Amino acid sequence: MPASARRLCCLVLLAAASVLPGPASAEFDDAALRTHVEVLDNGLTILALPEPTTPVVSFQVWVKAGSKDETRYTGIAHLFEHMMFRGSKNLEPEAHTRYVEERGGRINAFTNNDLTVYFEDVTPDALPLIIDLEAERFANLVVTEEILEAEREVVLEERRMRTEDSPQGRAFEALLATTFLAHPYRWPVIGWRSDVEQVTVEACREFFDTYYAPDNLVVAVAGRFELEPTLAHLRRTFGAMEPARIIPRSPTKEPEQEGERRAVVHFEVRAPLLAATWHAPPSGHPDGPALDVASEILSSGRSSRLYRRLVYDEEVALSASSAWWELQEAGLFYAFASVRPGGSIETVERLFFEEVERLGREPASPEEIEKAKRGIEVYLIDGLETVHGLASRVGRDWVTFGRIRPLAERLAKIEAVTAADVQRVVAKYMVPDKRTVIHVVPPPAEAPVEAEAPAGAEAGS
Amino acid sequence: MLAGAVLGLGVAGCASLDAEPEAATPPAPPPAVALPSWELPPPPIDTGTIVDAERLHHTALANGLRVMVLEDPRLPQVKLGLAVRRGAASEPPEQAGLATFLSSLMERGAGDRDALALAETVDGLGASFGVSAGWDSLEVRVTGLSRDLDTLFGVLADLARRPRLDPEEAGKVRAETLAALERAKDRPQTLAAWNFYRAVYPGHRFGESLEGTPETVAGLDAGTARAFHGRQFVPGNAILYVSGDVEAADIVARARAALGDWPVAPVPDPGPPAPKPAPPARRIVIVDRPDLGQAQILIGHDGVGRTDPRPLAVSLMNVTLGGGGFSSRLMTVIREREGLAYGIGSGFRLSRSPGPFSVSTATRVPEARRAIDLILAELAGIQERPPTADELSHAQTYAAGRFALGLETSGAMLASLVELDIHGLPEDGIDTYRSRVAAVTVEDVAREARERIHPERAAIIVVGPAEVLQPALADLGPVEVVQP
Repeated sequence: MPASARRLCCLVLLAAASVLPGPASAEFDDAALRTHVEVLDNGLTILALPEPTTPVVSFQVWVKAGSKDETRYTGIAHLFEHMMFRGSKNLEPEAHTRYVEERGGRINAFTNNDLTVYFEDVTPDALPLIIDLEAERFANLVVTEEILEAEREVVLEERRMRTEDSPQGRAFEALLATTFLAHPYRWPVIGWRSDVEQVTVEACREFFDTYYAPDNLVVAVAGRFELEPTLAHLRRTFGAMEPARIIPRSPTKEPEQEGERRAVVHFEVRAPLLAATWHAPPSGHPDGPALDVASEILSSGRSSRLYRRLVYDEEVALSASSAWWELQEAGLFYAFASVRPGGSIETVERLFFEEVERLGREPASPEEIEKAKRGIEVYLIDGLETVHGLASRVGRDWVTFGRIRPLAERLAKIEAVTAADVQRVVAKYMVPDKRTVIHVVPPPAEAPVEAEAPAGAEAGS
Repeated sequence: MLAGAVLGLGVAGCASLDAEPEAATPPAPPPAVALPSWELPPPPIDTGTIVDAERLHHTALANGLRVMVLEDPRLPQVKLGLAVRRGAASEPPEQAGLATFLSSLMERGAGDRDALALAETVDGLGASFGVSAGWDSLEVRVTGLSRDLDTLFGVLADLARRPRLDPEEAGKVRAETLAALERAKDRPQTLAAWNFYRAVYPGHRFGESLEGTPETVAGLDAGTARAFHGRQFVPGNAILYVSGDVEAADIVARARAALGDWPVAPVPDPGPPAPKPAPPARRIVIVDRPDLGQAQILIGHDGVGRTDPRPLAVSLMNVTLGGGGFSSRLMTVIREREGLAYGIGSGFRLSRSPGPFSVSTATRVPEARRAIDLILAELAGIQERPPTADELSHAQTYAAGRFALGLETSGAMLASLVELDIHGLPEDGIDTYRSRVAAVTVEDVAREARERIHPERAAIIVVGPAEVLQPALADLGPVEVVQP
């Protein structure tokens, strides 16, 4: 399944990338429409979606705080996410995880540029336990010097693995640092190494007090559970937390980009990487559906334009893809290609940009438009398959839009997209002056390797 | 005709999971003396049936093709697959990578459609397709919306019976595979794995990766692929499986029409004999990557097979050691206590012939030696201090719960049933799994720890700067430095 595999790859790479929108005319039951929404007196929002035909329940806490909310230490949102597993007033470090795993549950969390999400997927008998455990750490977290030191090392190992020793990680870090000059999206979610090395206990506590307040949280629960007892349980646990009332946000907006930016990252790669972005609108923009259709035409499946041209016909790349990446305060249309070892990155870049520009110059065929719409439809219906997927969808929609978007509405918007719309948005956004291009290539033979220099050091030059 | 509903899926399992937790209690606040729910022990393992017999149907055609259908009308989807019971383990070592090569080539056209027409047809429905090779099987998969079943079923039958295996496409696939093998060296994890296989299974097919080597792949072409396809893709060696918004009788009728005249042919031999145990000597291989700040570490030896008589005791022992999420001994020591790694895991590759056991992690280069020492100590430790009753109990509830979660979708449920079929294991393996887990004893896991874990002869592979690593590891055993 090459198409979905490629798409997945991109989503993993762009940790915060959100879902491609979508579909059309198949009949299906949009379970998310049955979500019960309740806002407690302290501002906590509950999204409860009973789905009795499944043997699983997914419990998720969405925190409206991500790397964009960091002020002094980059990476603190993510480091703090790790600390949430390291003990609270009534629980030893890692006890939370142990209790969940003892029930066979899946437990994890992730942080991106906009938000932090904690989740457990469990069998239904474990839901009351999960609610107690989550309420305990959100109300009573304990941050100590000793545990922070151990966790800091874990995060630095994560940074080495995902970024410093990874060509994709280097490309991505340099890409954001060069695309954004001002907005907090310019720094990596995992943080710059020097900041992670110096985050203090006090800064962790302040981050917790500022952002981990009930009026900044959305609890999403989907799967097999009884609605009323679960709501009552949430009210008496999460309902007891004190609200923050004022939650600070960065005022910084990204100024208009007035010319192409480029950066080179030297790294020992056999397959050089091309990464690029164009500034595009943020989540929820009316041009979004057309951008999604454009990305399908370019990237989805073996008949897509980029695969055919770069991978199949010209045989210059091993993969080539693009997509609209929705963030809350800005959007990007990104491009990513893996150059065949021994091949020319300049050729890959030229062919890639030719294909993008062609989509802005000539209308796509009716068959391509239709194919893209069907692909998005199938993708959105697939998202209904698991309760984890359902809880993620309603949680993301709520923190982003303050409402749950029916699939039918998203599909109708996709169905309404015309070839002219696609041509218009590509011509409008994918222009060279709004473009940032990163090459990850081996260092020149005569120059010494500077493996320790952070990739972003070249940014903005 | 269906042989009848023999097994079935899904929601039935839910009934048994329906523990009505706190849901049964009134929503009033609990008394102040109530224990926090984490103080309560987990409930006993639910050993009820999982597969809903009403929804699962299987039969066989006259030519030997087995058919399994799992009806699930909840979403308008359909997932189609056809698996054969042989894979890369059946390749001659000099043709390592043949199954993977064949699977890629099968994707490049089938029946009346060339590579592009096939892609246009499937993409045009928003559907997807693929052919994949494992050690013990080759699988064709087509997924999409149930309204497109006619086309999707036709594509599946063409892919399985009539792949074009075009010589020109074979050249393109070979070039792409060779390029991908070269690119794979950019990942330290891959470099570690390749060198690990070579160290543990020298001279055996398992000594090279699933995808083969540049030398063996260079020798593959449409002819070798066609011969392999002809041997493996015969009805007596295959199972057709379908889940989603379909009716079993309709699927069987389609199978008869499209695959009923697939000629009977001999079922291929299982392939080479089981790998010999690794030589009883520790060896260390350093893959020199002077540019890396983090050393990739892989430690292990020969393991057990999928049809080993005691696979569950081995698995549960491994949950305690390093296979159990964040709570395992290795995670507790290496990540939680020492802060040496973002993650660490151990596992057995349960292929038909015994695959390797390995522990995998990555740590900053100056700490590589300390991490290796700690891992070796935990391997010895699981023998000297086998899992306690508490640890075993944790592993059992962990495994039973994870198992149920993993079967949430019909596609996953059917994939598990097909995996049992591929290995010739009993079809009630899903329903009996949790009671078999519950029956494992501390004596069982202690025996597996003694017999299956061999730190003294483990191969140790480290990817990173040899200049630093070589002196640090020199007293652990004979060290060989290789280039990526």
